[in-house]
Amino acid sequence: MTELSRRQMLAAAALAAGTLAMPRILRAQGNGPIKLGTLTPLTGSGGSYGPSMAEVVNRAAAEINAAGGVRGRQIQIISEDDQTNPEAGLRAARKLIDVDGVSAIIGTWASSVTTAVAPVCWQSGVFLATVSGADSITQLPHGGFIIRTQPNTSLQGTKFGEFSAELGAKTVAFMSPQTPFTEAQFKFITEAVTKAGGKTSSLIYDDKKTTLRTEVDQVLRGRPDVIVMGGYTNDTAVLVRDLYRASFRGKLIGFGYAVNKQLVDALPADVSEGIYTLSPSTAAGSGAYAHVAKLLGVDAPDTYSAQCFDHLSLIAMAMAAGQGTTGAVIKDNVRKVAQGGGERVTEAVEGLNLITAGTKVDYDGASGPCDFTEVGDITDAKFRYEQVKAGKVTLLKIA
Amino acid sequence: MITYLLFALVVGSVYALLAQSLMLSWGLAGLVNLGLAGFFALGAYASAMSTSWAHVPIPLGLLLAVLVAGGAGLLVCFSTLRLRDDYLAIVTLGFAEVVRLVASNEVWLTNGTDGISGVPSFLPRDTGLWFHLGALVIALLAVAAVYALQRRLLQSPWGRSLRAVREDETVAAVAGKNVVRFKAQAFSLAAGIAGLAGAIYGHYTSYVAPDQFQPLITVYIFLAVTAGGNARPAGAVIGAYLLVAFLEATRFLTEFAPGVSALQRAALREILVGLGLVLVLSLRPDGLLPERSQKAPGR
Repeated sequence: MTELSRRQMLAAAALAAGTLAMPRILRAQGNGPIKLGTLTPLTGSGGSYGPSMAEVVNRAAAEINAAGGVRGRQIQIISEDDQTNPEAGLRAARKLIDVDGVSAIIGTWASSVTTAVAPVCWQSGVFLATVSGADSITQLPHGGFIIRTQPNTSLQGTKFGEFSAELGAKTVAFMSPQTPFTEAQFKFITEAVTKAGGKTSSLIYDDKKTTLRTEVDQVLRGRPDVIVMGGYTNDTAVLVRDLYRASFRGKLIGFGYAVNKQLVDALPADVSEGIYTLSPSTAAGSGAYAHVAKLLGVDAPDTYSAQCFDHLSLIAMAMAAGQGTTGAVIKDNVRKVAQGGGERVTEAVEGLNLITAGTKVDYDGASGPCDFTEVGDITDAKFRYEQVKAGKVTLLKIA
Repeated sequence: MITYLLFALVVGSVYALLAQSLMLSWGLAGLVNLGLAGFFALGAYASAMSTSWAHVPIPLGLLLAVLVAGGAGLLVCFSTLRLRDDYLAIVTLGFAEVVRLVASNEVWLTNGTDGISGVPSFLPRDTGLWFHLGALVIALLAVAAVYALQRRLLQSPWGRSLRAVREDETVAAVAGKNVVRFKAQAFSLAAGIAGLAGAIYGHYTSYVAPDQFQPLITVYIFLAVTAGGNARPAGAVIGAYLLVAFLEATRFLTEFAPGVSALQRAALREILVGLGLVLVLSLRPDGLLPERSQKAPGR
C-alpha cells in the first residue's frame, strides 16, 4: 500500500504553490518596458488564424522598438493562447492583467471569448482591441475600453445581401454554423435581398461534421441561385466539396477569411472555381496592407493579422499622444490618433515621430480607415470583392 | 498578483467540485461519466437564467442548479440502465454535446451562442479584492460541504454497497442490494454537484455561453481525478487544485524556453500537460491518494 505521509503531502503542496509564484513577481508599469498582451487562439478552432495575429504584433512591436519605442520606452509583447475557449481565455486574460500588468489586450477572436474577457478588462482599466464581429460586444457597458476593427454583423450582412442581388440572385440560401452573428447576418442579408425583389432561406449546420451532404441536399431543394456561406475555413471546405459533388451550378459567396489560400490549395481547382469572397479592406493603394505582408513574409495576409497590426499601431500612438501608458490613457486618446483629420499615416513608427513633433495624425490602417464610433465600432469599411479563378484568389473590385 | 492567485483558487475550487462529482460517479459507482460538461452547463444555465431573468436570489439559483442538474442526472441514468463502461461513456458524452447544441441553437431559451452576460455576482464587482474573496469563500464552503458529505457517505453502509455494485453488480444484487437504486442515487447526486459547480462558475465570471462547456473541461477533470486518486474525496480535491496549479504554471515555465514563438509555446504547454498525465500514470497509477481498503465493521 503506497501512502503519502503528511510531510510528503505538505512538500508537494508547497512545491505546487511555489511554481505559481516562481518566475515573475508582480512588476507594475513603472520605468521598464510598456507591456501589452496578445490573446489570440493558438489552438482550438481558431488555431489557423491566431499564430499570425500574434506574430505580426510581435514583429510590428520590434519595428517600433528599433525606431526608439513610444516616447523612448520599449514595448514588450506577452502572448497568451485563448484556446478558442472562453474558460481558458479568461484564465489567460487574468494572468496577462494581474501578473504581467499589461495595459492593453490585443486580438481576441471568438466572440464568446471576447464577451468573457471584456468585463475583466474594463474593470481593471485594461484596453481591449478585438476582431470579434458579434453586434452584442460593443453593446456591453464597457465605458470606452473596447474597440473593434471587424465590421459588425449588420454591416457585413448588408454587404453580402447587396452583392448577391448584384449577381442577379432571385433566391439566396444562407448556410452557416451557429455563431453569435449568424442570426443578425441572415436578417440583414434578407433585408438587402428582399429590397431587390428576391427571397432568402437559411440553414444552420454543425461545423464539426465531416460531411454536409444532407444539409446540401436540403438547401438545393429550394433551387437557390446564390448560396452565402457563413462558416470558417475548415467547415467551408467541407461545404464547398459537398456542393460540388451535388452538382450545384449557382454562385457561391463566402467570407474572405474562410475562402482563403489555405482552402483553395486544399481543394482541386475546379471545385473552388468561381467562388466569390468578401472581406473588409483598406482603400486601394494603402501602404499598411503591403507593410503587413512584408512583416509576415506572405503575399496576402488575412484580415485578422491586418487588424491586429492596426490595434498595435493605434495603441502605441494613443499612448504617445496621451503621454501615458495605462489603459485609460489609450481609451481617451485612441480616437484622437485614429480619426478627425490631420496628417495621414499608415504605420506606427511614422505616426509616433509626428506625434512627438506635435503634429495631429489620422491613421489609415491595413484593415481599413480605422475610424471609430462612440461605442467602438468602425464607422465605415470598404470591402474587397474577390473571386477564385484557376486556383487563385483574384481581386475583382474594392468598394 | 493577489487577484490572479484568488482567481486561480476559485477556478481550482470549481474544478474540485467537478472532480468530486466525477469521483462519486466514476470512482465509487463505476459509472464512466463523460457528460460532466453537460451537467456543469445545466447548472450554470439554470442559475444564470433564473437569477438574471427571473431575478430570484442567488442562493435559490444555486439550489435550482443542483435540482435541475440532479434531475437530468436521474433521467440520463435511467435511460442508460443497461449500459456499462464504454457504452455508458459514449452515451454520456453524447448527452453533454446535446446540452451544448441545444444551448447554442435554441436562441429563444438560452440566448444562443451570444450567451448570458451580466449574470449577478455574489458580491458587487466593483468591490475589487472583496469580490474575489467572497467568491472564494463561497466556493471553498461548497467544496468543504461536498467533501464532508462524501466522507460521510463513503463510510456509511451506502458507500460500501456502492463499491460492491462497482466491483460486481450481480454479486451485489444477489446480496440483496437494489443495484438500480444505488446507481441512480449516486449518478444523480454526482450530477447535482456538477450543477452546483456550474452555478458558482457562472456567478463568478458573470458570463455563461455554450462554448464554455466543450468536452475539454471533462478531459481536464478526468486528468485531475486520475492524478489525485479516483476513489477518495481528498484525492479528487487535491488533484483538481494541483491540475489548475499545473495548467497555470506551464504558462510561466514555457516563458523560460528560449527562442520559441507564441504558437510553439502554446504547443509546448499542451505537451507538458500530456507529459504530466503520462508521468502520473506510470509513477502512481492509482493516483496520489489510492483507495484505502476498508476493513469490515468490527464486532
